[in-house]
Amino acid sequence: MKKVHFCLAHHLRVTMYTIKMALLTIIEYPSNILGWLISNPIQFLLGFATIKFAVEQFGEINGWDYGQLAFLYGISVISHALSMIFFVQGWFMGYYVIDGAFDRFLTRPMSVLYQFFFTNINIFGFTDLIPGILVFLYGCVQTDFAFTVSNVLGIIVMLTGAVLIRGGIYILLGSTSFWTKSANDFGQFTQEIFDKTTMYPLSMYPEAMQLILTFLIPIGWVSFYPASELLGMKTLCSSGGMGVWITLAAGIATMLAAGLVFQTGLKKYESAGN
Amino acid sequence: MFSSSFRKYLFICKTRIIRSFTYRFDVFGNILMQTIVMVTTAFFWKALFQDETFRNGITADNMMTYTIMSSVLSVLFTTGVERRIQESVEKGSIAIDLMRPVNVFGMFFAEDLGNLIALLFQNLLPILLLGSLLIKVPTIVSVSAIPMFAVSVILSMAINWLTAAIFGMWAFTAISMDALFQVKKHLIRLLSGSIIPIWFFPKWLAGILNALPFVYIYQLPLDIYIGSASNEEIQGRMLIQLIWVLILAALFYLFSKKSLKKVLVQGG
Amino acid sequence: MITVRDLHKEYLVSEKGKGLGGTLKSLFRNEKKIIGAVNGLDFHVNKGEIVGFIGPNGSGKSTTIKMMTGILTPTSGEVLIDGRNIARYRKETVRKIGVVFGQRTQLNWDLRLEETFELLRRIYQIEKKDYLDILEVMDSILGIGELLDKPVRQMSLGQRVKGDLTAAMLHSPKVLFLDEPTIGLDAGSKYALRKFIKEINTIRGTTVILTTHDLGDIQELCERLIIINNGVMMDDGNLSEIVERIAPYRTLTVEYYDSIVPTHPKAEILSAADNVVRYKFMKRELTAARLISDLSSLHPIRDVGIEEAGIDDIIRIAYAKTVQS
Repeated sequence: MKKVHFCLAHHLRVTMYTIKMALLTIIEYPSNILGWLISNPIQFLLGFATIKFAVEQFGEINGWDYGQLAFLYGISVISHALSMIFFVQGWFMGYYVIDGAFDRFLTRPMSVLYQFFFTNINIFGFTDLIPGILVFLYGCVQTDFAFTVSNVLGIIVMLTGAVLIRGGIYILLGSTSFWTKSANDFGQFTQEIFDKTTMYPLSMYPEAMQLILTFLIPIGWVSFYPASELLGMKTLCSSGGMGVWITLAAGIATMLAAGLVFQTGLKKYESAGN
Repeated sequence: MFSSSFRKYLFICKTRIIRSFTYRFDVFGNILMQTIVMVTTAFFWKALFQDETFRNGITADNMMTYTIMSSVLSVLFTTGVERRIQESVEKGSIAIDLMRPVNVFGMFFAEDLGNLIALLFQNLLPILLLGSLLIKVPTIVSVSAIPMFAVSVILSMAINWLTAAIFGMWAFTAISMDALFQVKKHLIRLLSGSIIPIWFFPKWLAGILNALPFVYIYQLPLDIYIGSASNEEIQGRMLIQLIWVLILAALFYLFSKKSLKKVLVQGG
Repeated sequence: MITVRDLHKEYLVSEKGKGLGGTLKSLFRNEKKIIGAVNGLDFHVNKGEIVGFIGPNGSGKSTTIKMMTGILTPTSGEVLIDGRNIARYRKETVRKIGVVFGQRTQLNWDLRLEETFELLRRIYQIEKKDYLDILEVMDSILGIGELLDKPVRQMSLGQRVKGDLTAAMLHSPKVLFLDEPTIGLDAGSKYALRKFIKEINTIRGTTVILTTHDLGDIQELCERLIIINNGVMMDDGNLSEIVERIAPYRTLTVEYYDSIVPTHPKAEILSAADNVVRYKFMKRELTAARLISDLSSLHPIRDVGIEEAGIDDIIRIAYAKTVQS
């Protein structure tokens, strides 16, 4: 127990310091932050507006009205933003593999995966958080979502799980580079697929696909199932009031699987050059 | 016989083709991902339309064709010119690129063309095939629409490449381009009709967008393909498309002269 | 301190066809081939040694160093650092080593040098007092103190190498691995670096493993050389002992008053031009004094010069041997 506590304190100290370094870096390059502050909100606010135009023509999509869609969309973007802050490096893992950039992490006495993500914290990710929170709050107002203690706790648990699921999938995809020996860049497509499957109700897809995204790849748990539960919507698989906790469990399981695959891949790591 | 300068571009083009085939995993991975995006978009429309018909007679079936062809077109609109300019400026190799006996933009264009030819086989055809199998066969509204569609697509590609090159040239002046490229990407994605056709947009907004070049990249060729506008309307819009090509070409010419001079003065 | 036992590393290399046809073909089928980069290395390094690790490019030298530092996992065999297998117990074992790659920095490019040090202090869990102590030592050897506040991107290569050396020493490693540390450095920085290696070796008793192509580094620093090529050990021993064994000869250059070429039964003539003749002779058979007196009895000599077989001869011969075999 004492050892675990010590280990946790160690990681926390390092994390705090890398956050400080990330903030210092932002101060060094103020024009960068300005660029992302414009670009990311444009992407999601504009994206949200265009859906609104389409959905308004028909009133609803699979029984979800516009306010409920906003709630779902907002949660999806918030979890995306958080995953950008902590796990965006996963998108670029291929470049690290080809470039031999894991050398440095391997010569230090901490987990490689931990160093890979947490010595490169991407504070810029908070620029995605802004549109996410705005759309989410809009959805909350439209759906009269009550901010009770259990609801707030539910959202926190769900977001934690959602970020772990996303991060885990980034790691799984990035780890393929250990075997393919090429810098596979799944960034853009990963985002598009997550957008398509977490921003809209999963129920609009065929049952087979819903089942895959529920049991095989836990993408359904990123936003759809827990959000349905919080809003009282019907879904293909009932989560029996445990939706947010299943999300958390799925997140932990995905992360563990990802860690295992990464560690196996790392044994195949060839560094750069000869 | 090819002139020797044309040969040079041909060689650059060929190197690109070989390079893009080199990573087999990327090739299959890309097809898979693009197919997933295409299919999910198709389901979005199915869920939204159900059995209803949109006001200008558009059905869910039309939207399936629209989605498949939009994915197909997106392959044709792949450009690397902005990235290449940015890299070249960041690494300082722009000076070397400029000293080569070929026009630097000609070189970038040849590279993009080479990429495109490779992409025709490794992306466009597979996506068209998978789309036909998984969603539906995306048939054109009438045979007579084919020449118009072809001309319009070529003009679209010109608008797309010129926009990319003009944006890329900003890299000569600004330090951080990533965010700017993202802004451009999202504007095109969301305001060109590539995902959501602009008929769904409020009238006032659609009016503004019709004046901007974005809709002439995706929306116009797709409208021709599914036949969602009258012939007169199409002809009018193709005229605007052509005007946009000319305007962008002029801007491109102007900017390239200016930014190349800037590099030569600064010495790269 | 370091034991390397029957170390092997194999790579699976896929062969791509040539030209457009070849690339198209390899889309669907590609040939795989196993290449042995390191083929059975055995050696032991004692505490406090400075060992030069040399070999031509592609010799397996880098691969070996990378296995010794825990970066690559051996295909078979093992590397023990202070008795612990580094591949199996990476996290606790790398604490005992410091690594500097000449072409790669671990310093944060955008920030002040001290920010990287503070991060490393937290990663290695170094007490503030120990950290300040070691910085003081490093300041006295390298003058790192004045660089602490400087952003790394504004540093010269020499300053950056100093920063990287300090970064590698912060946790007081028992072994320091330096991979081509002097590459691209100017004379002043090279001098500082060599001084640093000698001092940490004597003051702190740090074992140093060094790869380099720089003959000066080897001559000045290394008591022991390990020569490797094609993934196998070519030679291992004391510098002068290797010289004695591989190149037990000297060269005598004699300048005569006339353009003549006197011969000697025990010396081989390497070259003769104008008045200058170069003789090669075995140290064991003949002394230089003897040769000079023999030759001067034949013809009057204006001037002489003696050259020992240099380290470059050793390396050339060692590399050439592997090409033949």
